[in-house]
Amino acid sequence: MKKAAYKVTGGKMIRVSLGESNGKIREIKITGDFFLHPEELINELEDMLVGKPLNVQDLTSSIKMLMENRDATLLGASTKDFVKCILIAGGRDD
Amino acid sequence: MIDKWRFLDTDGRDAFFNMGLDEAIVIAREKNLVPNTLRFFRWEPSAVSIGYFQSMEEEVDVAECDRRGVDYVRRRTGGGAVYHDRDGELTYSIIISEDHKLVSTDIQKTYQTLCSGLTVGLNILGIPAKFKIINDIVVDGKKISGNAQTRRKGVVHQHGTILIKVDPSLMFKLLKVPNEKIRDKLISSVEERVTSINSYLKKNVSLSEINKAFKTGFERAFNIKLDSGQLIDFEIDLAKKLKKEKYASKDWNFGR
Repeated sequence: MKKAAYKVTGGKMIRVSLGESNGKIREIKITGDFFLHPEELINELEDMLVGKPLNVQDLTSSIKMLMENRDATLLGASTKDFVKCILIAGGRDD
Repeated sequence: MIDKWRFLDTDGRDAFFNMGLDEAIVIAREKNLVPNTLRFFRWEPSAVSIGYFQSMEEEVDVAECDRRGVDYVRRRTGGGAVYHDRDGELTYSIIISEDHKLVSTDIQKTYQTLCSGLTVGLNILGIPAKFKIINDIVVDGKKISGNAQTRRKGVVHQHGTILIKVDPSLMFKLLKVPNEKIRDKLISSVEERVTSINSYLKKNVSLSEINKAFKTGFERAFNIKLDSGQLIDFEIDLAKKLKKEKYASKDWNFGR
């Protein structure tokens, strides 16, 4: 498992543990002191990310879609910050 | 019409019961069995709580907690790891219907509104505190209160801490630090960033004076009347069940 921690400027901490195969997410855990409403959505978010390729476009659009579909709110972090931390963990942040 | 809320002071209880009782009151409120409620409580023994999205292993030195008899529990709300000292903190919970006029669909705005009870309470004690985005209350730029909120089935639940006295070195013995070399640096940085009622006022304020100030603070800020009330059997029974089945369980506490 590869790990990354990313502190959002003026916001909260995001931590990602990531397993990868062939450029895609095999397993992922997102933890931190951010706020996501509804809370249970974090499990669905992690499940949804399994199999997604590690690139900005795919990750951003899939997380955005889930957040919008479920009328979710993030405080202290944004979709962009989640994507950034996932890519850092995957060694693809440049 | 006077807006009357139930006021509860459940004093010092263990972490698992405390978190079970918060959820039990939320469920009782959902079922309309109880009115809007403000609860004050403390932690006996001292405890560490972590946010819903945090990992116990990443955040807490559980072996050190065990050695010192400090409980550790995961909250139903997001946010960070907090050390709740038995004698150093007053904790509150607000459990109200989502259709109450103090509640906005904007969560950030609702934090600010609900935290006004605390800032007024601190003002009464002579502390010119202010709300700071996202979920803190600060005085002279130093944090004195942290807060966390969640919503479920038409009920808003916000709980938070008011620091009465603070011991950063103990806090960092219980929380994980990235490496030992920076422990001292973290401790001094917390000393610079965090304050408490007693350290700001440079005197020891009694718990009864603090309770009274915040009770009045909430009444004034929310324009409500707080009537001292009791827990109902449903809440007590459910709190015990939630303690046993959820908050004291490894599955929940180490679930992330």
